[in-house]
Amino acid sequence: MTSDAIISLQRVSVTYRSGPAWNRRVVHAVRGVDIAIPRGTILGLVGESGSGKTTVGRLCLGLLPPTEGAVLFDHAPMPKPRAIKGRAAVVLQQPEWALNPRLRVGTSVAEPLTVLGIAKAERLERAREALSQVGLDPSLLTRYPHELSGGQRQRASIARALITDPSFVVFDEAVSALDVSVQTQILNLIRSLQETRAFSALFISHDLAATRYVADRIAVMRLGEIVDTADADRFYSLPEHPYSRELWSTLMPADLAPEIAARPAETLS
Amino acid sequence: MTAIVSVRDLALDYVTGDGIVRALDGADLEVPEGVALGVVGESGSGKSTLGLAVGRLLPGNLRRSGGDLTIRGRSVFACSPEEMRRLRRDLMGFVFQNPMQALDPTMRVGAQLALAHGDARPGREALIGELDRVGLREPERVLRSYPHELSGGMAQRVVIAMAIARKPQILIADEPTASLDATIRDQVLKVLLAQSRAVGATMLLLSHELHVVARVCEMVAVMYGGRVVEFGVAARVFRRPVHPYTRALLRAAPGHEPRRMILKPIPGMPPVLRGPSQGCAFAPRCDLAAPICTTSRPPARMVDGRQVLCHFAEASLALSERVEEAVP
Amino acid sequence: MSVGAETLPTSAARPVGVGPRRRRAARFDALSRGALVLLIIIVLIGTFGHFLPIGDPEEIAVGPRLSPPSWEFLLGTDELGRSFLPRVVHGIRTTFLVSAMAVLATAFIGTIVGMLSAYFGGFVDTLVMRLADVMFAFPAIVLGLLVSALLGPGIFPAVLVISFVTLPLFVRLVRAVTLSVAGREFVVAAEVAGASTARILVLHLLPNVSGAVVVQLTYALSIGMLVESGLSFLGLGTQPPDASLGSLLRLGAVYVGIAPWLVMSSGLLLALSIASVNLTGDGLRDAIDPLRGRALQ
Repeated sequence: MTSDAIISLQRVSVTYRSGPAWNRRVVHAVRGVDIAIPRGTILGLVGESGSGKTTVGRLCLGLLPPTEGAVLFDHAPMPKPRAIKGRAAVVLQQPEWALNPRLRVGTSVAEPLTVLGIAKAERLERAREALSQVGLDPSLLTRYPHELSGGQRQRASIARALITDPSFVVFDEAVSALDVSVQTQILNLIRSLQETRAFSALFISHDLAATRYVADRIAVMRLGEIVDTADADRFYSLPEHPYSRELWSTLMPADLAPEIAARPAETLS
Repeated sequence: MTAIVSVRDLALDYVTGDGIVRALDGADLEVPEGVALGVVGESGSGKSTLGLAVGRLLPGNLRRSGGDLTIRGRSVFACSPEEMRRLRRDLMGFVFQNPMQALDPTMRVGAQLALAHGDARPGREALIGELDRVGLREPERVLRSYPHELSGGMAQRVVIAMAIARKPQILIADEPTASLDATIRDQVLKVLLAQSRAVGATMLLLSHELHVVARVCEMVAVMYGGRVVEFGVAARVFRRPVHPYTRALLRAAPGHEPRRMILKPIPGMPPVLRGPSQGCAFAPRCDLAAPICTTSRPPARMVDGRQVLCHFAEASLALSERVEEAVP
Repeated sequence: MSVGAETLPTSAARPVGVGPRRRRAARFDALSRGALVLLIIIVLIGTFGHFLPIGDPEEIAVGPRLSPPSWEFLLGTDELGRSFLPRVVHGIRTTFLVSAMAVLATAFIGTIVGMLSAYFGGFVDTLVMRLADVMFAFPAIVLGLLVSALLGPGIFPAVLVISFVTLPLFVRLVRAVTLSVAGREFVVAAEVAGASTARILVLHLLPNVSGAVVVQLTYALSIGMLVESGLSFLGLGTQPPDASLGSLLRLGAVYVGIAPWLVMSSGLLLALSIASVNLTGDGLRDAIDPLRGRALQ
């Protein structure tokens, strides 16, 4: 359904050619992919290495043009990032390099505002607010990244992504490099922020368990193609597509899981 | 069963330019011979340090400040470097996370595999047999290949073949599948377990991924803050965890929760120890914590067939046993 | 595709709050510290030595010609009866000044070229790299002959040669570092936020490249000093009445049989200068580089 899709990929392919003319090597990173992300929802994109999921992420941000097909942002052809300042954002994998080590945390978090030309006083105020919304003490504004833990840096990275109230955020393996106990904190944060701020998002991961926890719908990629698309609910029980099944079966075997409590969805800590 | 590896109150410190960082803070573990033991822990838990300590493959700035680690009664810290090298060569096999780093990029697989056998020079047929046993479909081709021509999963199988080449008694695998795709992880783990069994080795599988350990290990040791906080039969530890950390970790990890449920993460972060911990290292994040937890180090006790480090182990077990009503 | 906790003990135990910048000074080991001290002493002598009552480097016939070191003339006299000590001091100054000027200018240009080449990539990048390869392969002395044939001998041609020889070092290094930094998360985030290219280059790339440039500066400086000395020794660099350690070696070499102290003093000082620069550079590199090798027990 592409009725109100903030991002839409229509028969998109990305092909890399390298080598001399007589010995061309062609890599089909992405083949004939159709994706629509309805406004206000999170689409999960699950795949292994080489599946093309990172390339799709770059396409959705306008960092890369498609070799074939069309990428639409808000029903218009996807422009370069500079043209849509503040409307899209990204959170990437390594907390180690999420923030410029030479700049104070506050400067990095407020950077999207600086790019928009917003005055310093207002930037400071909004940065303070952004940090507290992601559960960080505003006093961290004046610190340097190396003084923060990995989880804190990812939170700051999320604060930076949301500071301009973007309509669309790409999370590319955003929790993969974190410890399990911290991962869940960040996943919960993403869920709750998305509920209150209602942005649309693409959540890219190789981890089906984390993806189905945050996403509304999930697309499964393999070797550059989308092999399965379904509501996230579908991935809580045996999925239909054989490849999705393979991924699903790598999760914790049910007979070894603790009988776990279910809790109504009231508060997130 | 006798313990092949015995860790007694082992304390290891890193001496860095910024002061001491304690990697192990009094770790206790008796590894029964012949089992597949999983060691689970997050960053700073000390699991990698413990695994490497078995082979004394420790960096130069690591200092032992207490306790001991013995293999069949012989302390690894009392050995000379030459004795240690022999011990490693004769008794141990290692499988690390990144197969491309474990294999020599300039040598063909066949040559490396032959070298791994030491003085015994196996013939080509024997090598092909070994590659076949680790599930490689075209062993002749693999024998002739260079490591970079193999996929991650294939390369790791080669590493496993090399690790068991000398029929080690202890096989240490440190995150062996973390670099591999999820879909082949299972196969490689099964190969690891099967080969370990075939040579009668005791396997130590170190991983931060619970489901990896759950699949292949009979026993599991959960580490936190440089100590083994829970140790017992895997099925029991996972189904009815005793230690609050184990329970919190299992509850926090996505993968087996019902749909729409909100997982309760563990608040805070894993600790970085600068010296011996005064009380229980998990106390700041524990839902059962009481004043005694911050002042007194919990002693090891047996609760429900498991060795646990907790002042409130029984209460914690009771919490694990309680199944709350599911809310749709 | 590594997931979750690291497996190497060194990084698993890295405590929160350790930054590569903070403990740089403390990691400077004894040898590097000694080298730095020596370097500072030599530079101070070269800079302020002429304020001391050591004599005039250019006044001729103050003493007997080619006389050995004595209390009056600590390093003896040269073939024109000039006290050699102030000449050596002057020589130190010239050697350092010429090399430093050339290398600083080259570092500036090389950094800009390297960064732009890496960031924009494509055909320009390939062209720049091939040019750098050619420059790198060019032997300095031959180049020196060529340049002095065109421009005549002197300090300026020497500066040109030093620049030519050291430029590829900076371009390649800066390009490599820029390539690795440009792919990092914070740079991509800035691009997505719509930051201008200028902002990314100046605010994000340059500060993270500067550390490597500083280390390379010391190596380039020692190369510059060697090149200058080599050219001056051949008579192509510093010309009289100016003196650099290389040109002093040239003059001293003529009389090495009867007045060896001329060659010995200037040669020894040249060797010490270059060695101290190199060792200081090594120490700097070890201090800045967080991935220091550790031996296994």
